Amino acid sequence: MAKEAKVKMSKAKKNEAMWGLIFVAPTMLGLIVLNFYPIVYTVYQSFCKTGDFGRGNTFIGLTNYQNVLTSSEFWSSLLNTLKYAIIEVPFGIGIGLVLAVLLNRKIKFQSGYRIIFFLPMVAAPAAVAMVWKFLYNQQFGLLNNLFGLNVAWISDTNIAWISIGIIGVWSIVGYNMILFLSGLQEIPHDYYEAAEIDGASGIRQFFSITIPLLSPTTFFILQTRIIGALQVFDLIYMVMDNTNQALSSVQSVVYIFYKYTFTNGDRGYGAAIVVCMLAIIMAITFLLQKSEKKWVFYN
Amino acid sequence: MKQLKKLMALLLALAMVLALAACGSGDDSSGSSGSGSADATLDSSAELEVWIWDSDQQDGIQEICDLFTEDTGIAVKVNVVTWDNYWTLLEAGASGGDMADVFWMHILEADKYMSNDILLDLTPYIAADDGIDMANYYEGAVETFTYDGKYYGIPKDHDINVILYNKAIFDEYGFDYPDETWTWDTFYEVAAGITEASGGSVYGSAMNTTNDQDSWWNIVYAMGGSIISEDGTTSGLDSDETKAAMEFVGKLIDDALAPQSLVSENGTSGLFSNNLVAMICQGNYTLAGFTDYDGSENYATAVLPYYDANGNGQCDDGERVTIYNSLAWSASAATAHPNEAAALVLWLSSYDMQVKQAELGVTLAGYVGADSAYADAISAKGIDASAVQVMNDTATLISYPHSYNTTTWQNYYKEKLVAAWLDTSLMSSVLDDCAAYMNDILAAE
Repeated sequence: MAKEAKVKMSKAKKNEAMWGLIFVAPTMLGLIVLNFYPIVYTVYQSFCKTGDFGRGNTFIGLTNYQNVLTSSEFWSSLLNTLKYAIIEVPFGIGIGLVLAVLLNRKIKFQSGYRIIFFLPMVAAPAAVAMVWKFLYNQQFGLLNNLFGLNVAWISDTNIAWISIGIIGVWSIVGYNMILFLSGLQEIPHDYYEAAEIDGASGIRQFFSITIPLLSPTTFFILQTRIIGALQVFDLIYMVMDNTNQALSSVQSVVYIFYKYTFTNGDRGYGAAIVVCMLAIIMAITFLLQKSEKKWVFYN
Repeated sequence: MKQLKKLMALLLALAMVLALAACGSGDDSSGSSGSGSADATLDSSAELEVWIWDSDQQDGIQEICDLFTEDTGIAVKVNVVTWDNYWTLLEAGASGGDMADVFWMHILEADKYMSNDILLDLTPYIAADDGIDMANYYEGAVETFTYDGKYYGIPKDHDINVILYNKAIFDEYGFDYPDETWTWDTFYEVAAGITEASGGSVYGSAMNTTNDQDSWWNIVYAMGGSIISEDGTTSGLDSDETKAAMEFVGKLIDDALAPQSLVSENGTSGLFSNNLVAMICQGNYTLAGFTDYDGSENYATAVLPYYDANGNGQCDDGERVTIYNSLAWSASAATAHPNEAAALVLWLSSYDMQVKQAELGVTLAGYVGADSAYADAISAKGIDASAVQVMNDTATLISYPHSYNTTTWQNYYKEKLVAAWLDTSLMSSVLDDCAAYMNDILAAE
């Protein structure tokens, strides 16, 4: 690339480049105004004691970071976030994959099933959370009344994080399934035919052909879902009342970010929280990229 | 393809995390601090936008604003922005310079808006208007909306806390209805009695850590405690009187109240309206909403209990306490029509319109003594609210304790007190912790 760039462009190429720029300009503009500027501004705020109405920010260096990193609340919420990711990501991927394989065959109402599993993805997360909140309600909830239980699904410190994780899995399974379906359809049929001739069972085919050849899709889902799961907020915000006794064992990093930034109005501290989170997510993404060679196969 | 995916993942990570943070960042545009001329003839072609957050009050307020339009020709549109969005949008409007002309201001936000010159200084307009004398409004409320000796808001209302009880539950377990002879000890005995008599299927009362203004603050102040010192510099949470009052609340929690998990999942009003709780403390502004529930014909109100400080067996001055809060009408400093906006604020705050507001059953008045019609207006909707009037006339009204960063320390104790609600033996140490946190914030204000 570097060498080519040095070659002087012909007039036609210049013209083409200009049109190219014009076509990407709206997207670029959107990205700059809605993403890049806010990113820079957030990093700037994280070094400030912020004033109300965006006025009177005073530079205070690393104080916000020091406060974030020495607060036990940040670390416990980071642990909570990881706990959530540990439920959502593997179960979301595992169930999504199984559903995709089952729905990849010719069965009745195939597209009907696909729609049903994908629907939670279309519903607004806040609405999903409200419905689950009713289901989980200890006194009047459907779950307890249907099964004659008396479980405090969202108010018991030991259970609440799992209950939240279940909502996360339920919401994301359909989306993962659709991605897996498209991955499955890219696998050439020849492999399965050859395997069948060799007498491989369906299960053997699944583990020896489907899983390895799906690995690029799996990798993509894994990566985006880890990033997504680490940013969990709306579920927790909608389901957990701020006087819920299990809140401290469930609240995520973005939840406390919201609390400090928008409820308490301490934008600098909030910005520092979110920049720390960014660093963690970047580190995890980097490690994932490193691991890619070891287990992802591209045809 | 691989490179693209890597890039995409990184970009996603960047964009998703950080875009969140920027939602609330403002720019540096400064609203001109309006020191309007008060003489002004009004421009009758002006149109004013009014923001409130309570849809229950919209019709009544619009009716009063229509009277203003009849009088001046200035068109007024009352818009409801729900509480959850109100402050985000108002702040965005204030930062971006595009704000409603006239709007409600709240005690928890007022300091921030006043100290940043967002609000129109109403002092010259009040001085020029013979009908408005700030001495006629609730003193604590006037103080709340005064900054550097200037008035930035005029109290539009105040609230009164009462007991809301379910007669059917009292009848079922054979207890007398609450009345003005009740002390807080009576409240405890009856609430614990109902909880015990029902074998725990119904609770005498319910109170969350968040029920401060309508519930436990009233107990704290009746027993001589406080939330914040008079001068607003230190926390009152760790004072002996406050702790004694909160130990009493702890006794209630142990023997009489619905358990914390039920309360946090359903809210006290949810439990009450499902007939699981016999009585709760409520602000008068919620009563109209309860008329919609099944079984509301069994609901009635009673005055808050008193604390018999001198032990003479009767309620003396200062023993029956209710913490009140007032909203205020404020105008934007950056409005294109400062004279007209100020005129509307003065109109809404005038004695006649305050009386009108009470007659329409919108709220109690910010103007002392202008709301004798309110209780009847609410009673007409189905819940006997005469106790509101009795409280209003006879109880000691204490202004909502607050400082610049009220929300921050308030949210802190609301979360931390949950531990004390679960294990009441922790009450004293949790209060110490909350007081220390609060003192740090107050010291930095």
